[in-house]
Amino acid sequence: MDNIATNKTDRNPSKEREISKTPYLARIIRRYKLDKILFTVIAFALILIYEYPVILTIMNAFKTNAGVMLGPLSLPIPPTLQAFIASWNSLDFPLLMRNTAFLAIVGTLLAIALSAVPAYVLSRFRLPGGELFFVILLTGMVLPQQAIIVPLYAVMQRLGLLNSLWGLAIVHGVYGMSFTLLFLRGFMASIPTELEDAARIDGANDFQVLRYILIPLTAPGIAIAASLNIISIWNELFFALIFLTDPNKFPVTMGLQLMTTSIQFMSWNLPAASIIITQIPTILLYTIAYRFIQRGLTAGGVKG
Amino acid sequence: MAAFIPPETAVKTREEISKSNLRGALHWRYFRRDWFKFVFGIFLPLILFMIFIGYPMLNTIYLSLFDWNGITKTMKFIGLQNYIQLIHDPHLSLSLTNNLLWFVLTLIFPLMGGLVLGAILSSGRIYFTKVLMVLLLLPITFSMVTIGTMFGLITNPVFGALNQVLASIGLGFIHPDWLGPNLAIYTLIAVSSWSGLGMTTLMFNAAMGQVPDELYETAKMEGARAYQTFWYVTLPSIRPIIGIVTVLVAIGSLRAFDLVFVMTRGGPFRRTTVLGYMLFDEAFTKYHFGYGAAIGTVILLFAAVLMYFYIRQNVLTANN
Repeated sequence: MDNIATNKTDRNPSKEREISKTPYLARIIRRYKLDKILFTVIAFALILIYEYPVILTIMNAFKTNAGVMLGPLSLPIPPTLQAFIASWNSLDFPLLMRNTAFLAIVGTLLAIALSAVPAYVLSRFRLPGGELFFVILLTGMVLPQQAIIVPLYAVMQRLGLLNSLWGLAIVHGVYGMSFTLLFLRGFMASIPTELEDAARIDGANDFQVLRYILIPLTAPGIAIAASLNIISIWNELFFALIFLTDPNKFPVTMGLQLMTTSIQFMSWNLPAASIIITQIPTILLYTIAYRFIQRGLTAGGVKG
Repeated sequence: MAAFIPPETAVKTREEISKSNLRGALHWRYFRRDWFKFVFGIFLPLILFMIFIGYPMLNTIYLSLFDWNGITKTMKFIGLQNYIQLIHDPHLSLSLTNNLLWFVLTLIFPLMGGLVLGAILSSGRIYFTKVLMVLLLLPITFSMVTIGTMFGLITNPVFGALNQVLASIGLGFIHPDWLGPNLAIYTLIAVSSWSGLGMTTLMFNAAMGQVPDELYETAKMEGARAYQTFWYVTLPSIRPIIGIVTVLVAIGSLRAFDLVFVMTRGGPFRRTTVLGYMLFDEAFTKYHFGYGAAIGTVILLFAAVLMYFYIRQNVLTANN
């Protein structure tokens, strides 16, 4: 190692002078990138503190009731699934999960079905009022739900969609439409039109162009929009709180929310275990598709 | 930051869209060829939007002029009485103060923090930045109910972890009631900031990755120090993104509801009430629908200002 270094400096006298001026320690640091390693260690220490609430929750979920008594900071030794089993029995998780999955899947499919064609129209045709149309649909993305909830409640009542999972899924779909449209429009606009032109020459109509050319080409964009929609519907509370009254139709957020007011909340392990159970699907989705999700979150933002 | 902030910031896409418009856009005459585009491309989305978003938006203002309990069919027109009552409602000023506090403090912590973290992550002085980013973004997969429950356990005065941590590092003499009347709103904002930090960091980090390297090289040749480069090169280059994130943070603070609902229910002594919670309380627990609609109109007013900035930033400049 030293030989190589001296050989190099021999060939370059000016560099040798520069290096010999810098102190020995600084040279070592530079050679082995110790500063970079040090910064990385500090960064990971900080992120550990940042994630400490999550780590603490996981730790406490694996404790027995007696283990909780030792204080929240103690280690779960030995780790048990007792709290998971108890919370599984006290909340009807299969039902809650089924309801939430229904909402997430129907809502997401609806959001994508509703926005794919307008995204195509807006990215390919110059329509009079097209921009206005786009801006109008976009308001759903930044509108606080509370601002319209009173009349929306009346609308849902009149349509007979109160206390119905289908109704809630439709609301989620319409709300997800804005973001999905914005994202898919950007995505479709970045796809070259040559393939489409070729298909049109062969006599394809608009539906065929969309079905056989644009949808397959925008599949990654659709996957990104779908994962973000699923996560946001899975975690949604407000609409479910207002529109659903039947406990048999509650999504997981409502089940969890009811539990926090119950007696179980007097200890750590049951709520902690319930939290983990409810978030397993989104965490799984995140670990599988975090690349997609990150890209969707910065959507259009910085680069499509 | 309920669920996630749809973080739409269009800089590159905008250019791409306008470019593709120039290249391959079809005149609207060609649009009329197929019925399919009319029905599924314009009418259906527009009608659903109007039913579930557009009409309620306008109807909020209309309903705020009535005395209505939300159940019976009879509504009594009372003019501006709801607004007069609202101005004299002590909870309104409390809510407005809390919302403003929420906005200002989330500007400081997630926004500034995200800016600094984004700069650090894109500086190339750290290994494994992608792993760090994944970990930092983990809270976006949690619902606000989850986060609220988690921090409810942590800040609990009896068996919470936070006071125990303080005790274990020798600060046992501070054992505040984190959800007590004085601290609760700050605790809520801190929790909300915790969950939003990953998002802002991601956006700023991505924006900084787009700044052309030549600018940094020039700055380096001129002998700029790291903070000078950040101040004079990085910050001006990502100014549009900073504007958009600011608007999103403001919308997030206007939307604040879930955390308040889960952690404090507006209490203790209504000290943590925000506009969204106040509306929920009036309309859906006391059945003052007209009054709730008046609060909704106030929210809508603020939202309209923010939407204006947001859309101007995103869309209207898109084709220029």
